[in-house]
Amino acid sequence: MIRFSAVTKRYPGGLEALRGVTLEVAEGEMVAITGHSGAGKSTLLKLAAGLERASGGTVLVQGQNLGSLGEASLAVLRRRIGFVFQDHKLLYDRSAFENVALPLRICGFPREEAARRVRAALAKVGLLAREKAMPVALSGGEQQRLCIARAIVNRPMVLIADEPTGNLDADYARAIVDLFDSFHQVGVTVLLSTHDEASVARLRCRRVALAAGAVLKAAAA
Amino acid sequence: MTWLRLHLDAVGDALRRLASQPFASLVSIAVLGVALALPVVAAVLMKSVGATAAGLDTEPHVSVYMALDAAPEDVRRVEGALRAQPDAAAVKFVSRAQALAELQSTTHLADVLASLDRNPLPDAFTVRMRTSDADRIAAARAAWSRLPKVDQVAADFEWSQHLARWARFGERVVLAIGLLLAGAVAFIVAHLIRLQVLTRRDEIEVSQLVGATAADVRRPFLYHGALEGLFAGAAALGLAALVAAWIGSELSALTPSYAAELKVVFLSPAERAALVAGAAALGLLGAWTAVARELRRFAADR
Repeated sequence: MIRFSAVTKRYPGGLEALRGVTLEVAEGEMVAITGHSGAGKSTLLKLAAGLERASGGTVLVQGQNLGSLGEASLAVLRRRIGFVFQDHKLLYDRSAFENVALPLRICGFPREEAARRVRAALAKVGLLAREKAMPVALSGGEQQRLCIARAIVNRPMVLIADEPTGNLDADYARAIVDLFDSFHQVGVTVLLSTHDEASVARLRCRRVALAAGAVLKAAAA
Repeated sequence: MTWLRLHLDAVGDALRRLASQPFASLVSIAVLGVALALPVVAAVLMKSVGATAAGLDTEPHVSVYMALDAAPEDVRRVEGALRAQPDAAAVKFVSRAQALAELQSTTHLADVLASLDRNPLPDAFTVRMRTSDADRIAAARAAWSRLPKVDQVAADFEWSQHLARWARFGERVVLAIGLLLAGAVAFIVAHLIRLQVLTRRDEIEVSQLVGATAADVRRPFLYHGALEGLFAGAAALGLAALVAAWIGSELSALTPSYAAELKVVFLSPAERAALVAGAAALGLLGAWTAVARELRRFAADR
């Protein structure tokens, strides 16, 4: 589903975030990328989602070489990948409902069909009752779940989450991890990152440790 | 259908944006409308002058004045020569008596004329020419002035050529003003859309993150610009119509003192449609340049 071959990523200014990462995530698999902050986890996820381009090596997603895709094709590919951003990237002048509806509006979904899907996604993350709420009125955990609802509203085959348990307390973190596990159970390929291995300790999934932009070990749990 | 829905959504989005700040939108549209109304009014005036001039007899005429001592045979011989000239379309004879009577009736010189012991006016011909070519008229004029007992030949076609030259000059001025103000409209719309893009920067960024292409991001802004242009074109049309009516009421009051009827000729339906469509196109152009530039800057910032 996702295949990295000797991928490097260098940012302007010389920072080398990834140094020759080779990694394969099979269809329907769930993989946790662990490592300290600055290890290159976010970069790896962004490359997998087509949000950034690799400086070297190849990134294949669903058989497509992202390096050879044009900007428009890359944007269209992003519609098939759900991404949960570390900083949520919510629109604070729109209701929860409208935030979740954004990816569908971009695709030109019929209104009623879109509303049905938005409500299904909100129900999935337990925010159906808050659909009219503005993001500022939501707690940190609720904002996180709203971001997940937006990521799954397009029913993607791949779900990528950058530090989804980041600054949540243990109970919230467990609920979020369980949520991802439930997507994994229904066949969605899940790729998530965390700097706190304890929060994913309960998950039965492969862990890939990243340090200084390189893969340390790839062990099954 | 998806394609149509995306466009309808973008139009709806643009209209909501315009409606969400009604005062700002009205002021913008008024500014653009006034800018466009100026060349439209100038064009209407040019068109009106053109229509009035067309009502005048602009065909060149040549006046042939006989010597005062010309005998009736001389007059008949000259008339024959004039009629034989192929460029002469019509030859009208005005006898010296007729000319005097006309002068007495149309001017206040009756007392002066009555005090003269003899009629100072000559017999004359007015020749309407078939051609407006200056060389050929000059040739005819030279040939006729050599005829016996012809005193003077005056060709008063220069004024119609002057009029045509002034009309061309006027059209050029209107065109220049129109181009300048059309440029101003495109720049103003570009500025307005740039502000819109900047205030919606977060929305653009998030949309791109969840799969919006550059075209998806541009679409509502392009409609916004085009709609602003469209409304401005309509406003310009309304303003120009009001100004034309206002000027027209004074102009028609002038009519009795002139032979040709003076009236304001407003734009034809096709011209009106072209104005509104052109204004929308200017809005689209301004929006396109602004969005393309801002999106490039956003991309560079990331």
